Amino acid sequence: MTQLDDEGAAIERCKSGDREAFGAIVQKYMKPAYYVALGYVGTPDDALDISQDAFVNAFRHIKRFDSSKKFFPWFYSILKNLCMNHLTRVRRRREDSIDAMAEEEGEVRIPLKTASPEQDAARRELERKIGTALLQLRPKEREIIILQHFQDYSYQEIADLLGIPIGTVMSRLYSARRALRKELERLGVRY
Amino acid sequence: MSCDAYKPLLMGYLDRELPEAEVALVEAHLAGCSDCASEIESFRRLKEVTQDMRVVTPDDRYWDQYWSNVYNRLERRVGWILISIGTILLGSYGLYELLMEALYDLGLPRTVRVGIAALVLGFCTLLVSVVRERIFLSKSDKYERIKR
Repeated sequence: MTQLDDEGAAIERCKSGDREAFGAIVQKYMKPAYYVALGYVGTPDDALDISQDAFVNAFRHIKRFDSSKKFFPWFYSILKNLCMNHLTRVRRRREDSIDAMAEEEGEVRIPLKTASPEQDAARRELERKIGTALLQLRPKEREIIILQHFQDYSYQEIADLLGIPIGTVMSRLYSARRALRKELERLGVRY
Repeated sequence: MSCDAYKPLLMGYLDRELPEAEVALVEAHLAGCSDCASEIESFRRLKEVTQDMRVVTPDDRYWDQYWSNVYNRLERRVGWILISIGTILLGSYGLYELLMEALYDLGLPRTVRVGIAALVLGFCTLLVSVVRERIFLSKSDKYERIKR
């Protein structure tokens, strides 16, 4: 039985209201869901919240899902919709708030951490600047950079998650890396 | 092939994701194109600088609790639906009783009786409109049109 068959069987049980079967789906996709949401909204707490809401919405609409297809590309539509709604609300609140200033000063950024145990000030500063630069990218660029560049998903895994061809993965990655490089130059990062 | 066509392939080459035939194609192009060679070198340095960086992920305890958080949200939704149904039923009954009392109480001024009738009818109209919209939305998959 292929992975798709296993997933299809679990989805069919979900359609009958089997929440435990849905639990298995959630456990499988919670981390990529979080990374995609983080790519869009930029803050870990919001990414956790929105990704969980997306799973709730997915369960509500699971009867309309064709279980012969892969789950995540369909779920991605739900997740992206919630992320875009969140960004619209944040943008409206931010128009008159000081958050815009804080973001410009680099206080709001995607948190990054180096695996190496040596964490000198220069390294921490680099992490801060890269995290700030990431937040300046467009959501689609940020999402693919997080998945491939920082979390080591393979091109095939990304293509399967997002429901796009591998050629599109490569094109988006090219645009994203160019944009990241440009932002880093603007922030004065030399490498 | 133009340089623009090679640009996405440079990513696959850099990340070792290309099949052998395409690797040979890209290497042949890089040997003869200084712009692309310079660009891939720049991306290679970017990758080196960030290679051991990872996005900070929540603690394991957040992942352990992730499914139970989703489960609780599902349950809470059921609770809110039941509260809404109860409120609508009790509210409707109360409004019905109010309407009947107002219509048959000849001691109340006509303006008050008309006002109460308008209030009750307005509430019923809103309720029907909301229910009809929910039924319409539940029949269409709004996520089909979202572009990936």
